[in-house]
Amino acid sequence: MLTTPVPNPDETLANRAFDALLWALSRPGLPRDLPTAGETAIIAALIDRECRVFSADPALIPLLAETGAEIADLPQADHVFLGALGSLAPLSQLGLGSDLYPDDGATAVIRVNLGSGDRLRLTGPGVDGALDLQIGGLPGGFWQARRERIRYPMGFDLILIDGTRVVGIPRSTSVEVL
Amino acid sequence: MSLSTLTKPWEAMNYGFLDASAKRELRRKMLKAVAVPGCQMPYASREVPMARGWGTGGLQVSLTLINPQTRVKVIDQGADDSVNAASIRRFLARVSGAPTTMDTLEADLIQSRHRVPEEIMREDQVLVLQVPNPEPLRPVQPNMSIARQMHADADYGRMWLQLYEQILRSGRVMQGASYPSLVNGRHVMTPSPIPRWDVPKLNMAKHLTILSAGREKRIHAVPPFTRVEPLVFDDVPYRVEDHGGLTCIRSGATGFFMNEIPQEDGTSAYEISDSEFGVKTIRAAEGEDIRFGDTWYKDGEMPQ
Repeated sequence: MLTTPVPNPDETLANRAFDALLWALSRPGLPRDLPTAGETAIIAALIDRECRVFSADPALIPLLAETGAEIADLPQADHVFLGALGSLAPLSQLGLGSDLYPDDGATAVIRVNLGSGDRLRLTGPGVDGALDLQIGGLPGGFWQARRERIRYPMGFDLILIDGTRVVGIPRSTSVEVL
Repeated sequence: MSLSTLTKPWEAMNYGFLDASAKRELRRKMLKAVAVPGCQMPYASREVPMARGWGTGGLQVSLTLINPQTRVKVIDQGADDSVNAASIRRFLARVSGAPTTMDTLEADLIQSRHRVPEEIMREDQVLVLQVPNPEPLRPVQPNMSIARQMHADADYGRMWLQLYEQILRSGRVMQGASYPSLVNGRHVMTPSPIPRWDVPKLNMAKHLTILSAGREKRIHAVPPFTRVEPLVFDDVPYRVEDHGGLTCIRSGATGFFMNEIPQEDGTSAYEISDSEFGVKTIRAAEGEDIRFGDTWYKDGEMPQ
């Protein structure tokens, strides 16, 4: 008889982080808890040597380099860690993928303040009717710029984190600023 | 930097069979599949100890999602006790230590071949469907590069033409299973070969559905509260199988999807396809205290 397999700490961390990310992206606007605060758990769950990553926050570079991922420029990166977003400039450079391969669109991780700031109304797949929430800490005009940039099914997907809390805004979600 | 920081401690087996990089790739693709509902995302599809075409796609998704607390249910054409379902369930439990169940209400993760359970799935449950052929355009466009371009252009005219020709030739749509359906008003997907009976269950459902084709190396998803509309003409409404009035000969359950059992005298008998629902009905009739979930179909009809 085989012994019962036990996940190692890395596996547990990555599994929990992915559980939170999958839930957050399939139910836009509903926050979930990551196992650890910040980007660490997201990096553990998603990033390895097959990825091209960009980080605006130099503090993350050693951690990203350790995964073996290629450190790339923003337009070429498939996973983008923007830290706390100061300006709208990075938004215009995010990879959108193509109509043939929408999966090439970037995944952007941004630090925000949940529960304060702009009042938003989300609609689209994963949202039961409409959902109102407040997201602060993003530069003015962010949601307008996102709407102008995304050409569904081309686009980028947002993972917004505040400490351990995570909110997903996939490209399929329409965001109205109230 | 020392050697120990570059390596990990020796382990006899990766937890959940798949290695960490295979899981990370699947995770990235699953997130993209959820972000673009119904769009087929290519993935690497690793080897698992099972022949391609026997549920390897669904198995890889389940192995990525599973942890020791995930309660797993595996069904094959509605049955928990078929060979395919039993071996996949045993394999999942063996490589993950996860508890198993046959009851839809108790399950956290349901891997299924060609059926959606009759009891309504909750928002905390995930349905993983095994997909033999993920490309709905294959009957009308065998070249998959051109089919990809057609998806990119939302060029689905030939799908409608195919349905029109079926109605013209046979008087009705002949597509029995894997009925092509429009997801989120943009991508036509195959819902895997679930019967027409099950397709409306995916529309605006509370649960997340992940469809994975291991042999064809494609993954797509239907997030919760997403429109899934079977392709139909305005004047020819979508019809599910006429099983609403049938009664199961073993359990007496009425109004659910049935398996037809041919009899020696040329007639047919019917058995409920969702085997555990049948078992629960029998045990309830014998006086046991059984908890039933709300069902999608009520009295053989899907409420609008």
